[in-house]
Amino acid sequence: MNAHDTISPTATRRPFLKLFTAPAVITAAIFAISMLAILQFSIRKHIPGSLDVGGFTLANFAGMLHPLYAKVFFQTVWLCLLTAVISLVLGYPLAYALVRSTNLFVKSFILITTVTPLFLGEVVRTYSWIVVLGNNGFVNSVLMQTGIIATPLQLLFTVTGVTIALVHVTLPVVVIMLAAAIAHIDPDYEKAAESLGAGPVRVFLTVTLPLSGPGIVAGLTTAFAWTFSAFATPQLVGGGKVNMVSNLVYQLGFANFNFPFAAALCVAGLALTYVSIFVMRTSLRPLEKVGLH
Amino acid sequence: MRMPIAILAAAGIALSSTASLAAEKLVISVWGGSWKDLVEQTVVKKFKAETGADVEFITGGTIDRLNKAKLAKGNPESDLTFTTSHVGWLYATDGLYEPLDLGKIPNAKWLVEQAKISPYHIGSWAYVYTIGYRPDLLPAGFKFESWNDLWKPELKGKISAPDFDASHLVVVSAVLSGGDAATWQKGGDKLKALKPNFKAYYANDAASQQLMQNGEAPVQVMLSMNAYYIASQGVPVELAIPKEGAVLGIDTIGIMKGSKNVDLAYKFINVLLDPAVQAEIATLKKGSPVVTSAKLAPEIAKLPGVFTTPDQWNKEALVIDHKLRGELTGEWRKWFTENVIN
Repeated sequence: MNAHDTISPTATRRPFLKLFTAPAVITAAIFAISMLAILQFSIRKHIPGSLDVGGFTLANFAGMLHPLYAKVFFQTVWLCLLTAVISLVLGYPLAYALVRSTNLFVKSFILITTVTPLFLGEVVRTYSWIVVLGNNGFVNSVLMQTGIIATPLQLLFTVTGVTIALVHVTLPVVVIMLAAAIAHIDPDYEKAAESLGAGPVRVFLTVTLPLSGPGIVAGLTTAFAWTFSAFATPQLVGGGKVNMVSNLVYQLGFANFNFPFAAALCVAGLALTYVSIFVMRTSLRPLEKVGLH
Repeated sequence: MRMPIAILAAAGIALSSTASLAAEKLVISVWGGSWKDLVEQTVVKKFKAETGADVEFITGGTIDRLNKAKLAKGNPESDLTFTTSHVGWLYATDGLYEPLDLGKIPNAKWLVEQAKISPYHIGSWAYVYTIGYRPDLLPAGFKFESWNDLWKPELKGKISAPDFDASHLVVVSAVLSGGDAATWQKGGDKLKALKPNFKAYYANDAASQQLMQNGEAPVQVMLSMNAYYIASQGVPVELAIPKEGAVLGIDTIGIMKGSKNVDLAYKFINVLLDPAVQAEIATLKKGSPVVTSAKLAPEIAKLPGVFTTPDQWNKEALVIDHKLRGELTGEWRKWFTENVIN
């Protein structure tokens, strides 16, 4: 085999096509260089009162042995998982209705209400949740006026409040991914099950749901990874009481000018993301396989 | 042929004069929003009227601008930079500031001692971080006479403080424990004991105002200017000056090293320290002027946290050494995050 065997006829005729990959290569190089810069910063000494960094050290990573960091890293994974699962549970019926409804008004309504959060700025959306979830906010006012509760529920600065706000922005992504997966299910499978006597619930549980497995896995994984990078929502709705890794990077790195420690937290956070997603993908692989048709 | 030559000469003169006018532009780095508006409406207005020079702004957060300045070291984007006193020390120690010659700033002779921060940067206006509270949401008759009152059990789950700067509470706790900023560890246990009283930590001015406005955290370690702003919006917030003093904050100005408009920059600083401009700034923001010659209206001068006399500056302000604060702020923040917030 010579080298020409591996080159497609189109590429041979149009060698300039290779140039089209240049933007992708440049972008990848910039990302790689940025990552190397962060890695380099993470093993440098912080000099108090200066923006310059000192010699090489592993002290930044050793500093993360404080129980606080384990707590925040665990809390980050927990919030991501909670957000992904709740988004899936809420998003599946919406995606199903979006794909299977024959009423154009219902389809449009679901699409608009679901996708709108993506078009709102993160800060605007988060401040809205502060207004809604506060002691004098919409939720507590309604519950108190209807006599369901006597004193306001504490929703702000809690895991519950942060999760609600995170689900709000993750839901559209999950719905879109699930809708794409459900739309690809051949309706003939469901019709075949019905013709063999299965009721609607059984058809859904034994045919539709398993066949949408790849969409469920993709939605869960994306929601999990998407939530990992959340910053403004836990920062504002969490009020410093509920922190994620990104908040620690800001609080301990940028607000303190301790860039080496911030970089070390970034590296640790990135490693945690990769490990979490790997574990998630591995454990969900059987579900994904069921849906491959 | 004389006429065309004369026209060409005139055009040449006009062009060179235009070029010279175009060079008369001062670039100022400042926070965005109301801070930029404040500088524009007060200092820039008078500066333009006096010099005819143009002014351009570069806006951004304290740290963003510091990073940008560091990247542009030697060829700065701005001629002047407004920043906080302790961050100003970071500019100075990193060689980003030009040493200041106060002899070139006639109005600097009125500068209060507390505003002479370093040989590189001086105060532009002052404020305090102190106890802000909502009397309507606290037990009847509750008053704050000392910082110690924050530790009272009645305030369980009611207070908030900035999460971006722990220096106020770290130093206050040290002072209450017989220490000071340099021996801040003395106050460690005391500050940890305040943990049950915290409701939340705020990340910016807007969050601080909102927490106070909606009553989520009716007691706050609060920037005086923020308290006066929401009070003007009808929120019944009051400020207390504890007997140990309110923590002084000074925003400062410095000339960037490598600026090509140093003379103009000195003129700008002189206008900034003009007594009338200082009075106008103090009135708009309810802060303290940094020159003793500024005359404030009695209703502004009487506000807690507005210092107009040497006695007030000396007795009501708790001053944290700015250089030490710049050096230790990271350590304090890390300690506060690890031991109090989480």
